[in-house]
Amino acid sequence: MSETIRISIDGKVVDATPGNSILHTRLEGDTPLTANIGCMGQGVCGSCRCLVRKAGERSAETRLACETTVEDGMQVSFIDYYLPNHVHHYRPHDLRDGWQALPQLQQTFPELAHCRHCSGCDRACPRHIPVQQGMALAASGQLEAAAALFDACIMCNLCTLACPENIRPNHVGLYLRRAQAIQNLRPGDLLRRLEQQARGELAINTRSDTPRSEA
Amino acid sequence: MNSAIPYAQALTNLTAHAQPPLRPAELSRSALLAQYHPDSDANASTLLQIGPSRGQACHPQLAALLQSNALIDGFDLAGAEQRSTDVLVIGGGGAGAAAALTAARSGAQVMLASKLRLGDSNTVMAEGGIQAALAASDSPQQHFDDAMRGGHQCANPQLLAQMASDAPGVIRWLIELGMHFDLEDPLSDGGKLRYKQAGGCSQRRILCYRDYTGLEMMRVLRETVELDPAISLLNRCPVVELLSHEDGSCAGAVLYDLEYQRFMVVSARQTILATGGCGRLHLQGFPTSNHYGATADGLVLAYRLGAGLRDMDAFQYHPTGVAWPQRLRGGLISEAARSGGALLVNGLGERFIEELAPRDVVSAAILRECAAGRGIERNGQLGVFLDTRALGPELAQRLPALQHLADKCGIDPSREPMLIYPTLHYQNGGVVIDGNGQTEVPGLLCAGEITGGIHGRNRLMGNALLDILAFGRRAGRQAARLAQAARHKSSLPPLRGGIEHVYRWQRQLALAGLDASVQAPLLYPGQARLALHRPTGTRAQEK
Repeated sequence: MSETIRISIDGKVVDATPGNSILHTRLEGDTPLTANIGCMGQGVCGSCRCLVRKAGERSAETRLACETTVEDGMQVSFIDYYLPNHVHHYRPHDLRDGWQALPQLQQTFPELAHCRHCSGCDRACPRHIPVQQGMALAASGQLEAAAALFDACIMCNLCTLACPENIRPNHVGLYLRRAQAIQNLRPGDLLRRLEQQARGELAINTRSDTPRSEA
Repeated sequence: MNSAIPYAQALTNLTAHAQPPLRPAELSRSALLAQYHPDSDANASTLLQIGPSRGQACHPQLAALLQSNALIDGFDLAGAEQRSTDVLVIGGGGAGAAAALTAARSGAQVMLASKLRLGDSNTVMAEGGIQAALAASDSPQQHFDDAMRGGHQCANPQLLAQMASDAPGVIRWLIELGMHFDLEDPLSDGGKLRYKQAGGCSQRRILCYRDYTGLEMMRVLRETVELDPAISLLNRCPVVELLSHEDGSCAGAVLYDLEYQRFMVVSARQTILATGGCGRLHLQGFPTSNHYGATADGLVLAYRLGAGLRDMDAFQYHPTGVAWPQRLRGGLISEAARSGGALLVNGLGERFIEELAPRDVVSAAILRECAAGRGIERNGQLGVFLDTRALGPELAQRLPALQHLADKCGIDPSREPMLIYPTLHYQNGGVVIDGNGQTEVPGLLCAGEITGGIHGRNRLMGNALLDILAFGRRAGRQAARLAQAARHKSSLPPLRGGIEHVYRWQRQLALAGLDASVQAPLLYPGQARLALHRPTGTRAQEK
């Protein structure tokens, strides 16, 4: 395990230790990283997205650098994060009326109907979410089933980058999940507690002397 | 390194018992903490020599940053881009997002600056959950009492009481934004919420979304901020200094725009620092579970401007960080694992502490086992076992983040134990605030891990996600209120400030004989420092 391999990161060839991730290899360089780095390996922040081409292969794949192990001859290119300018604005408040769910969705994401079934989003997803199926379900009005597919989405926006029709699938998925919670989640215990507090009950006595418990 | 039991031998010892026996406690909890907690180490504390909290104890690595020189000088402001806003929020985690949303909702024009991207923070990495006393058998009072006891009676009672009382309202706010919570039974009582047990708590009180509560929370908060027309977002704009008026109040901040490599001066009526903690300083040489950006930037700047600090010698070392394999060292295994029944076992196959004791006690106990030679060594890495076998086949479904981590470790957690060692997790202390997040410096508010006093000297599981939202919202509301009051007095844009406080600070550094060549904030961890670009011609001594 002590031999060193070489990979290319953004055009610069660097030494790498087998078993390490692309991200850790990049961190060992002599310039401070100011982007494409976040949770350092947990795989939840989606900032270290990159294109990876393995030695001898023609095509490049999208990956999270923190979860991809280095291989000799790998070429890596990090993908900048930017905010696309075709965002459709909505407020959480707009999602409250479940009876308007279908027209509301079409209005907010009109591109949804344009899916060409190219599967680019499926290939892009580092979490292996069946993104295209989710869009098809959403377009056909099966909102709950569509939302459920995006449960593990980390919002890395790779499917949004991949979509030639500007559908922004991960944002559709999040929109549907949010609508679900906003419309349906009314836990009884929470309602009762809020009502008790609104009546002025359950104020905290900050002087209550709790004995120090020593086990 | 201390002697330890080899991995293979420890595995045999583990499997020798159907139920590992609990080793009798030799020390009281307070003695355990005094002897083995990293905070108690002789070289883990020094006294601050200058600044508003001089004379107070502080970790030496942090003290070096707090008592340091600024990154910029007056001439850096000359050619900088000028902007102004009602409320400037610095920090793109949960506290910053909650503050920005609440300030915008209260009618303020808001700017949110983030060092990396909005959402790149410890919030998104939080797994366990959020505390809120909702059960009929539970109350905000019991929530308060548990947290007070867990923090060794050192918390500011007023702040803690506000947090516990705010909790139900915070959960409602999150649901209104579209956040999901795990349900025990979706069909009864409007969706019956699942409560999980946290260490040091008298009852089950943790609400969660699987074991990626923070991800679920942050993706909802980020989307809401990005779609809010009253908030302008500045990604990749680290704060390099605060601005002050002549009366010492905060006037906004100097940011460095990484994309255009130039300084940006933001004049703000109110400034909220929500820059988080300092895990990436690797205090006491510990690995950390923290995000890449956790370098204490806001703490340094607030202190330089005159905001008092507290408990800067109290840090949380989370008991269950990954110890093996080495490349994943420090990565967090959520307390949800122990909450669900996972056991801590030493090299002799014995349990040695109540798994759900407060975190500081559990960490100290693990360090004691390792110091006493009952630790386990695997390929040069030292730790103890987290025996997850009892979680059973449900593990993958209930704790997907744990399963994901175990996969990366090459371990099947339903059959093998994981090797763990404490990891630097949380800064218990921080900037002193009042109930609305206001610091001792007028015009400057703080929210989130940067603040001190809410948790005392040890935080309980699930109170961080609550704290950032409860106080993020309070700070946002208060900042909007104050900014509006200022606008009623004068409709002109906020006055431009300067860095007079930096010159005063430099004089104090010189008087105390401190090294003025150390510059902070660090901005990014590691050895390599970011070179701030100055256009040629604007600076006489350009190298």
